Amino acid sequence: MDNRSGSLADTLERVLDKGVVIVGDIAVCVVDIELLTLRVRLFIASAQTAREMGMDWWTNDPFFTPKAVERADETNELARQNAALRDRVAELERTVRRTAEEERR
Amino acid sequence: MSRGLYAYAITRDQPVDLAGPWLIGHRGLALVVAEVELARFAGLEFEEPSEDSPLAVLARYHDAVVRSVFRHAPVLPLRFGTVLDSVDAAVRLLSARHEEVSAWLSRVEGRQEWGVKVRAAQREPAHLDDVSGTAYLTLRRQRLVDADLARRAAATLHQALRDRADESVCRDLTRDLLLEGAYLVDAGHEEEFHAELGRLTAELGLSVEITGPWPPYSFTKVEFADA
Repeated sequence: MDNRSGSLADTLERVLDKGVVIVGDIAVCVVDIELLTLRVRLFIASAQTAREMGMDWWTNDPFFTPKAVERADETNELARQNAALRDRVAELERTVRRTAEEERR
Repeated sequence: MSRGLYAYAITRDQPVDLAGPWLIGHRGLALVVAEVELARFAGLEFEEPSEDSPLAVLARYHDAVVRSVFRHAPVLPLRFGTVLDSVDAAVRLLSARHEEVSAWLSRVEGRQEWGVKVRAAQREPAHLDDVSGTAYLTLRRQRLVDADLARRAAATLHQALRDRADESVCRDLTRDLLLEGAYLVDAGHEEEFHAELGRLTAELGLSVEITGPWPPYSFTKVEFADA
């Protein structure tokens, strides 16, 4: 067998989506080829391939993805809220512990 | 549903050693087939494209059989998952479509498919914090100009490659792709095709990914019926 073969995405795209189709009574349908092809197309069309190759630069670039700025803001805001809540929980725990100690006495 | 006759490709009827699959010949044409367990094809899923998924293994094998035939003779790859009713059905098909199949085989004979992808150049993310409004607009304009130049360069490349190929097809482009073309190139023009590809890639400063040679998958989109 030939070892010179393409990447899996390239091979799947060709094998599943290209080539001669045999129709009529002589062929038996064993694979839901349309569904598979659709999924392969979606996979290739989605930026997933590129992302796997480390080419997701645009997702964090505010120039191409205006939401990137918002996302960064959101993350900061969440971190701030998280810190504030931690402080409150610690404060409440201290109060509960103090009350329990006073009751024991 | 137990075993069936899986068909890989159509070729000319001539001896080919395939270690498994065999040829059903009829009047100079042949179908490359193998008996398979049909259960292997039922319920195939496309999840993550990993090499060891059942779909990937079967697709790779399909491609490997097609390539083995392709090294010796012109080939029309069949769509993945083609299972024939019987040996009789295979003969009926070759008989009913003899002229059409012969013409398609002549069309791809001595030719290989090459895939060419051009991706948009990667750019550093812009740091907009300390950028003035004017600087931002300048930057934005520059990027739009760059993007337009890259698109034109990709179109120039496609034009040049198309002129050196017997046939070509372009796929729909996804976000970071500027060109995804397949070119059916005659053995006699292959050197010229690749020389031009190398020259233009350097000259236009494009980031190009070349795949191939492939059997003529992208140039055999046709339906055959037995009647």
